Amino acid sequence: MTFYELVQNSLRDSLGTSIPAFAPELLLCATIVMLLLGRMFSGGRSNLAYVIMMVGCLAAFVVAWRTDAPEKPVEIFTGMLVHDSFALFMRRLLLLFVILFTSFTRLSGTPDRQTATEFYTLILGATLGMCLMVSANHMLIVFLGIEMASVPSYALVGVIKERRVSAEAALKFAVFGGGAAGVMLYGISLLVGTLGTAHLPTMSVRLAELLGSSAGSEYHPILVLAGLMIMVGFAFKLSAVPFHFWTPDVFEGATAEVAAFLSIASKAAALALLLRVTLGLGHVPSTLDTPTTVPVRYAVSEDAGTATAESASVSGLVTDSNAALLPARQYSAWLIALFAAVTCTFGNLAAYGQDNMKRLLAYSTIAHAGYMLMPVAAAILLAGTDPEASRFTVAAIGFYIAVYLFMNLGAFALVAFLRNELGSEQLPDYAGLARRSPGFVICAAVVMFSLVGLPPLAGFAAKFAIFAQTYEAGLLSLVVIGVLNTLFSLFYYLRVVKTMVLDPEPEGRPAPTIRIWSNAGFYCALIAVLLVALGVFWNPLFAEAQFAASMLLP
Amino acid sequence: MSFLSFLSQPVSLSHYLIVGAVLFVCGIVCMATKRNAIGVLMGVELVLNGAAVNFVAFSSPFLRADSQLSLGLDGHLITLFIIVLAAAEAAVALAIALCYYNTHATIDVDEGDELKG
Repeated sequence: MTFYELVQNSLRDSLGTSIPAFAPELLLCATIVMLLLGRMFSGGRSNLAYVIMMVGCLAAFVVAWRTDAPEKPVEIFTGMLVHDSFALFMRRLLLLFVILFTSFTRLSGTPDRQTATEFYTLILGATLGMCLMVSANHMLIVFLGIEMASVPSYALVGVIKERRVSAEAALKFAVFGGGAAGVMLYGISLLVGTLGTAHLPTMSVRLAELLGSSAGSEYHPILVLAGLMIMVGFAFKLSAVPFHFWTPDVFEGATAEVAAFLSIASKAAALALLLRVTLGLGHVPSTLDTPTTVPVRYAVSEDAGTATAESASVSGLVTDSNAALLPARQYSAWLIALFAAVTCTFGNLAAYGQDNMKRLLAYSTIAHAGYMLMPVAAAILLAGTDPEASRFTVAAIGFYIAVYLFMNLGAFALVAFLRNELGSEQLPDYAGLARRSPGFVICAAVVMFSLVGLPPLAGFAAKFAIFAQTYEAGLLSLVVIGVLNTLFSLFYYLRVVKTMVLDPEPEGRPAPTIRIWSNAGFYCALIAVLLVALGVFWNPLFAEAQFAASMLLP
Repeated sequence: MSFLSFLSQPVSLSHYLIVGAVLFVCGIVCMATKRNAIGVLMGVELVLNGAAVNFVAFSSPFLRADSQLSLGLDGHLITLFIIVLAAAEAAVALAIALCYYNTHATIDVDEGDELKG
């Protein structure tokens, strides 16, 4: 092959396949550059940063919306990323979240004009990392995505420089986050080195060979250790017990806006990445759709036995390979199930005594991470026996993530708007709000009941779907733990509503009124209406999630 | 005695992995015991470098009897990315440490006890 052909091929692949599929992310990159350039001209006096951010995010969302899902998963950028319906669904969700989040920050006024550029740049940088996470197909992108999402988050937590607690929270987050990422990277190095490749589908083929052969047993300890270390990194990102300790501190130290971003976007992306890695390693794809137009990567490996040739020889034996992967699936599923049970129990129990709303929501986030991990374990177990049921489970997770996005955004928006009115984030200060702002309190009640999972709200449909699929996988004990936890959680969510409605107003408090027809009230009402609507008409969103999951486990 | 025989063997993959593991363990111990924030960050760097040594060793086709299992260029690329990421993370973490110093007049991580996890 001549050099000319090489350039031709890689150009055709980049411009024809990869770049169009990657356009939303490129638009985000362009928005970052525009934000920084805009700062030079406006000098932080006008709303330019907000306008650029909103336009850029809307453009990226529209492009992602108009991108059609391919017929089957397509590997782009020489196998680094995969473009399929699941990645598309998650990226649309993330971009929709960033749009809602930007309008929320505008209403609550928290990055002021001076800091808006930095704030939005960091948000976009983290979002870019999350978009990489949800479409990762290579262990390098797995780690790179996690770090790209984490490093701007550390800075976001400390974005208000004068506050003592902010600095402390940011330092704790950076130190723990760096440590967890280091342990995860070491685990990845062991796993990748043992399997001899970092490309996820090829890794599953090699893992099946290793576990299937009799000589492979000497590698078992190192694989178990590597799996454990990688799980440490995921548990940190998902704030699963015992790697949850940063969550309440960081949420309390950061502003409510940043806490909302960390609690929603970062959890959603980490969960999607966990699904990609565990399902990718626990299932041998029947057809490795390697782009034939890209010889660069595969020409190198041709001397050393190509990945494609290997997979072709294996594809007839996929069933055997999938049987050989049973120990890997069971190991990861039980590990995740254990994390899920401990996490949601601990999160709910610790939420009781909290008076600070942001700490309460932090423990609520931990508990929800536990609920969301349960169907992940179920999906892994089902992947070997019944891929169709496994895809349905992933659809339930996707639906839960979408509903969780609205619920938690609503909860943090309430905290931020009340902080602006009351100057406090303590629950006792919310007493008697219902007398002056009844509409606002109704929205708050809807959000809280949805977080519990009461019918007919969206939280119920989402929770029902994931518990049903966990039961389907035979994890009855997990379902029992989940239902009991839902009962526990009723009390502390109800306590918030009770304080707002029944408790008498404290003496001498400035009378806060958030009218439902003000901008802030309207924003909360919009989210509350969405939660009710999704609880009744959940079909379209669920169908979308089912389509998203339909291309997993090829 | 097995350790001494290990020393007399020709250099193989496991020798590099031992260097990586020692770096990793030093980093973890450093993170767990240091009270100075800069010391903790140095521990993080050691952990990352331990992983980087592993990747470089795994990507060499000469160190493995079965050269099919070497990572090749992927390993080198990952190592380059680790170096860049470690620098980015250190820059952000040091900026945060400076911010912490400005508000607390110390970088002792134990002094940060206003938030109770």
